[in-house]
Amino acid sequence: MSRTEKILWGIALVGFLAGIAGLIQRFTGGHTVAAYGTYVPWGLWVAVYTTLVGISIGSFLIAALGEGARIRALQPLTGIALLTALAALAGGLLAIWLDLGHPLRFWKLFFSTSPTSIMGWMAWLYTVYGILLLVLIYLKWARPTSPLLRPLFGLGLALAVIFGGAEGALFGVVSAQALWESALVPIRFLVEGAASGMALVLFLAILLGYLEPEPGRFLRWTLLGLLLATAVLEWSEYSTTIYAGIPAKVESLRIVLFGPFWWVFWIFQIGLGLVVPIILLALSGERRVWLGVAGGLVAFTSLSAKLNLVIPALVVPELEGLRMAFTGPGLSFDYFPTLSEWLLAVWVASTAALIFLTAYRLLPAMRARPA
Amino acid sequence: MAQEIQTRIRTLATRRAFLARFASGVFASLIAPAVTSGVLDQVEAASRERTGVGPALTPELPEGMNGQHPIERMLKDLQRALQKPVDQRRWAMVIDLRKCVGCYACTVACIAENKLPPGIAYRPVITETRGTYPNVSRRFIPRPCMQCENPPCVSVCPVQATWKRPDGIVVINYDQCIGCRYCITACPYAARSFDSGYFYSDFEGGSPQPYELLPSPEYGENRVRRKDASPVGNVRKCHFCLHRIERGQLPACVLSCMGRATYFGDLNDPQSLVSELASRPNAFRLKEEMGTEPKVFYLV
Ligand code: SF4
Ligand code: SF4
Repeated sequence: MSRTEKILWGIALVGFLAGIAGLIQRFTGGHTVAAYGTYVPWGLWVAVYTTLVGISIGSFLIAALGEGARIRALQPLTGIALLTALAALAGGLLAIWLDLGHPLRFWKLFFSTSPTSIMGWMAWLYTVYGILLLVLIYLKWARPTSPLLRPLFGLGLALAVIFGGAEGALFGVVSAQALWESALVPIRFLVEGAASGMALVLFLAILLGYLEPEPGRFLRWTLLGLLLATAVLEWSEYSTTIYAGIPAKVESLRIVLFGPFWWVFWIFQIGLGLVVPIILLALSGERRVWLGVAGGLVAFTSLSAKLNLVIPALVVPELEGLRMAFTGPGLSFDYFPTLSEWLLAVWVASTAALIFLTAYRLLPAMRARPA
Repeated sequence: MAQEIQTRIRTLATRRAFLARFASGVFASLIAPAVTSGVLDQVEAASRERTGVGPALTPELPEGMNGQHPIERMLKDLQRALQKPVDQRRWAMVIDLRKCVGCYACTVACIAENKLPPGIAYRPVITETRGTYPNVSRRFIPRPCMQCENPPCVSVCPVQATWKRPDGIVVINYDQCIGCRYCITACPYAARSFDSGYFYSDFEGGSPQPYELLPSPEYGENRVRRKDASPVGNVRKCHFCLHRIERGQLPACVLSCMGRATYFGDLNDPQSLVSELASRPNAFRLKEEMGTEPKVFYLV
């Protein structure tokens, strides 16, 4: 085991152990330990879930483009990308499972699926995608020359694009939340997810010493393209919102840009998540350390974009005066995650990291040759 | 004598004008019967005496004095509707904002009826303030579930735990709901609440209060709320007191409304009081532009 790997194990284990406190609180205190409730029904855990699912899609795209679309430059990263996709998916689903009011009823999603609900569809898409990931990992590990690999990767590619968009549509179709209801949201989810997943694989490949120059170059330009596309999409969404002036939407956007958590947008989402990586990728050549920093920044700040979508839409009262109409626990339009929520989020992320590290250790065939 | 009665008419008219201008409708409907009791015959007699043909000045009378009492009428409407098959009923509510005094009686009655926990109110009363000082006006807007004809909360539910009944009431199956809260985000009126599992005793120490151990009659299920069982962990909402309606009773908020600002009945019955009120030109619905077709009408 390399030193880097040992450090990663250490960090993941510390996060896992610290996060157990959040898990225990979730099981003993139910949802009273969280700050979300009636007026802001979704919070940090939903943002974590969407972020991790986005990362899963993005990293899977690397594998699918390499093996399904035969982009040779990406093929050395197939193994690590598949493991990242699986770990991120597991983490994302864990986050949303713990967010349910009745987690033990999750099976109803399969036996009583509503055909009109995007969330109902997502349950099936996740299942198919998850099984596909497992099958692909198995084939890649045990039968790397199987003729099934290519069509399955092709299918996975289509699936990833569909459910990457559907993940955004889950928000985009909600006309009651002005900030969400936009045709751009599904596209943003897809592009941001692709960027964050690719960035994480780039980061991990550099950290674990597996990045060869060719995949490095390919990922550098692809990531740069995706970040520029993200910038265009965000600009387009925000500028048209401000110009159109629909009050609830403008109010949500005002909260994003200048509200109490303005720094999440300006420092994390734009500064560290977009501007700095764009500069690094565009100007610093192919030096691994800078590519790694850029990848790490994009991946680890990707939560900020999701937080800035999920929460600001919900903190604007649906009806003027509702804020003071009735008070009590859960009836607040101000949301900041509680310590339990943060701890549980850390536990989920650490669990995903441990799944990755364990699989990485147990399946040596999934590792590319060291560069 | 006639002069004295004329003076009383004038006083009465002045008082009523005062009430109309400065007090809310509820005071008018509560106080005016007392003010006018026994006086009306004399008023009418005086008018006849003066003109010889009939009443010259008919003071505006509160509705309770004009024919049938609204509660009585609504109960009759309800009975008529219950005779019909369920899919031919269309339950609706009309709320007269001119009469609502913001007393919260409906909010409290609903909480008591459905044994709601802290942080859940199916029918909060919103205070809307308009303008800036000194040109300020204020109105109270009770907000039950709108029982939308096109409820956006229903289609998003991934497990078909919530649906619109044939009579138009949107209900939730607590045993089916997984508590994902997607429906809360989809409701444009914030009419759905998440039962996080709070108890009043959590805030006051000690064991659950007797109130918290009473079964809730919601959906006729008589559930006693416990930390580890539905409806804790579920989404909850106003159901127009379905359990009461089916017993031939009016919703708790309607009966408790001291301003008599809330009316309930069958929109499919042209004879019903709600049909009559909802078809008035001064009726409007919240966020009509959303296309949800609410069945709660407001009179202004
Ligand atoms: S008011 Fe909200 S909860 Fe009630 S039916 Fe309409 S959308 Fe559903
Ligand atoms: S919270 Fe319950 S009723 Fe609402 S969408 Fe989820 S499962 Fe359906």
